[in-house]
Amino acid sequence: QGANSYGQLGQGHVEDLSHPRLCGTAALENQAVLAVSGGGGHSVLITEAFVCGQNDRGQLGLGHSANVSTLQLCHSLSQRVTKVACGWDFTLFLTDCGRVLSCGSNAFGQLGIGQTLPRTADVLVVESLKEPVVSLAAGLRHSLAVTSGCVYQWGSGLLSHAKRALSPRPVPSHFGSALPCLVPLEQKTSHVVAAGSMHCVCLTGDGDLFLWGSNKHGQLPHSEPFLCSPTLMKRSLLAGEKVIHVWSGWTHIVAQTTGRVFTWGRADYGQLGRRASTSQSAERQSVTPSAEGGNQEACHPAEVKVLHGATQIACGSEHNLAIVGRLLSWGWNEHGMCGDGSETDVFLPQLVSGLRALLIGCGAGHSM
Amino acid sequence: MSVFHDEIEIEDFEYDEDTDTYYFPCPCGDKFAITKEDLENGEEVAACPSCSLLVRVIYDKEAFVCGELVEAPSSSAENKLELVRSRKL
Repeated sequence: QGANSYGQLGQGHVEDLSHPRLCGTAALENQAVLAVSGGGGHSVLITEAFVCGQNDRGQLGLGHSANVSTLQLCHSLSQRVTKVACGWDFTLFLTDCGRVLSCGSNAFGQLGIGQTLPRTADVLVVESLKEPVVSLAAGLRHSLAVTSGCVYQWGSGLLSHAKRALSPRPVPSHFGSALPCLVPLEQKTSHVVAAGSMHCVCLTGDGDLFLWGSNKHGQLPHSEPFLCSPTLMKRSLLAGEKVIHVWSGWTHIVAQTTGRVFTWGRADYGQLGRRASTSQSAERQSVTPSAEGGNQEACHPAEVKVLHGATQIACGSEHNLAIVGRLLSWGWNEHGMCGDGSETDVFLPQLVSGLRALLIGCGAGHSM
Repeated sequence: MSVFHDEIEIEDFEYDEDTDTYYFPCPCGDKFAITKEDLENGEEVAACPSCSLLVRVIYDKEAFVCGELVEAPSSSAENKLELVRSRKL
């Protein structure tokens, strides 16, 4: 359900859907879907890789750049794919042997193949990542991957923000590289990365979160408007608990600790799944930087109790899905992406009725 | 809606020469758009054709009225160059 301007819902049309609808394709029958993800206007399902939606930059990897409104098998993937990360108009695939493949727009070097091609509709191997990749993430115009406990970043999506924030100081090279560039991080135990529109998140084996990039909407619980290198998030902000998983919307973050689920960042469409208390509203003065037009609502990390025990969570741009026994949704709902049949923003996680969800995924403004 | 979804610097928009329009990703999956002509006329609101969200474009109005294509700090030169190159391929 959700926004469907480019056929990303795989329905054969481009009308938005505010109720969940089966994406019927004979080819998918009897196949276990391993992963599902979406970019700005496109969707990718992994059994073998099936794709649909916007394809103007070749982000579907089909060898052409015509939009597709029903799921198509991506034939060019000769290796078995286990994970997928969709950026705005590009796609990263992770194969079972840990290689990263990419396709789509490379206008910002976000494919990790250098800057010789402005875009590619053919799926290419990110050759310079030699060690097996265990986690990957795609933002609007930047990418992240983890190999051997180290984080690599490429794509210059954050470069202009970095320059504005750091000037006249030099900008670290990981913000402007078109090839995977090692991110300076003292701990070498990273194992999960997540990407917002303009920020980066990494989770270490010790259960610590490191955050860097834009803090325009208070998504990094620090006072600076931009963090140029990975900065440890104080565990005291998360009840002192270790983080076991982390997800990111465009400007908000969801983290699961050993006991709870916390959310923080932008809150104005209900992205955080909780009401901001008065004390938080006061706190947000200190957390929201005013330097870059920081007139947005943003909140410190706080627990969302109803998400306790969540087995899966997925973040769209400004909305979210979670499986907590049953399927819940919350956040921005203008295109019906919360699946409740309305277009009213959802401020507290609510049941998406009539579905037994096994696997969830989000594009920017759509849900799968 | 009088509240802007965001404020975006013009250098962060992607320029399409065919339509003389600047684009920036909208959270719905479509794109905020504002034409060069709008900018030259002092317009500062970029709208998304698929939803209600609006962003305020931060740019140097003087420079646009003077006929500069993109008055951006030299910092964004490589991005602009890349965009121009991508249009030609």
